[in-house]
Amino acid sequence: MIQNKLLFHQSSVSLEIIGLPDYSNNENKDQISIISEWKLTIVDKPLIEGKFEHLGPIMNAFYIYSNLLIKNETPIYESKLIDIKADNLHIHNIVLKSSKPNVNPLNIKIGNTSLTDTINCFDQLNESPKVRIKKTVGPNYIPKKGRFGLNNKVKFLNFIMPPFIAIFSLILCSSTFIYFYDPVEDKESELINTE
Amino acid sequence: MISRKSIEKLDLLLLILETIDLNGIQSLYALSNTLNLNNVLPNKVTIWKLRNNNPLRKSYVTNNIKLKEFDALIRITVEMSKYLYPYIREILKSKEDIEKNSVIWNDFNTRFIELINERFNIDSMRVKKLLNQSENDEIIIKSLLILSFCISNQGYQKLKNFLYDF
Repeated sequence: MIQNKLLFHQSSVSLEIIGLPDYSNNENKDQISIISEWKLTIVDKPLIEGKFEHLGPIMNAFYIYSNLLIKNETPIYESKLIDIKADNLHIHNIVLKSSKPNVNPLNIKIGNTSLTDTINCFDQLNESPKVRIKKTVGPNYIPKKGRFGLNNKVKFLNFIMPPFIAIFSLILCSSTFIYFYDPVEDKESELINTE
Repeated sequence: MISRKSIEKLDLLLLILETIDLNGIQSLYALSNTLNLNNVLPNKVTIWKLRNNNPLRKSYVTNNIKLKEFDALIRITVEMSKYLYPYIREILKSKEDIEKNSVIWNDFNTRFIELINERFNIDSMRVKKLLNQSENDEIIIKSLLILSFCISNQGYQKLKNFLYDF
């Protein structure tokens, strides 16, 4: 069966996606839902290629790293498959670790331009209606502290929960000291006073 | 409510774009027309007034910028980054191999400093850092990176996340 190929370009970087449509889902013949192979070509650098299961983690690595880079946090990303860290303000060091045994890791140094081109290629892939990939992190990855900000449900809960807990605990505490009026006790104390 | 920090960041990004495009103010206004933002940004003065919410500016005023006005500024920033991406890329590239293309970087930095001197409160310590050619590299490079990461269709959302510090 002839496989579909899609190419995403951005200046010095190109990303090739090879795969098949999911015919069981009545997809068009030019669609790619089952990715069998992908190739990332950065000018003057060795070819990076892999299977579908590697594409997601590598895209995530680039997105997370680029977010760390612009947010003034330490730009280091480490995983089983890929490490990215900044050598300096202009050069980024990428270490790709092969899943096959006895294969040495591949070291690539890229500049800011290649990094932005790569991110833009991944963005094109994410936005392409012709490729369906399961997104784990995606281009709008938001690091740790901001996750609550976008989720309206969580935002609403964050807003409503603190006063609710405060009022509830106040009722709970005060109910233990609640005073029930006891007419017998009142009468006794009145008698003591008159004496 | 829009934080002062968010306005500061966005105005700096717009200033970077103006550094690249000599006719930047006109381009920003033209883009607001293209994006049908005339009801929010009817003229160049409105854009200027909104940008004056940046506390680092000489002409700083608190106009309490509204969410839709801030969003409109984000949209024109993203759109202009798309147009200027080849130039942004070239400036970043010039810093990667400084010996080859230092002229591009130096020209960019000189004009950036001129604009900062012209518009920002130079008594502020943070502005002084922007003016110092040996110290402003990091700020400029990060700003250029932010702009170049936001040229996709989802660029608006990306930049918004960054500016709101999510």
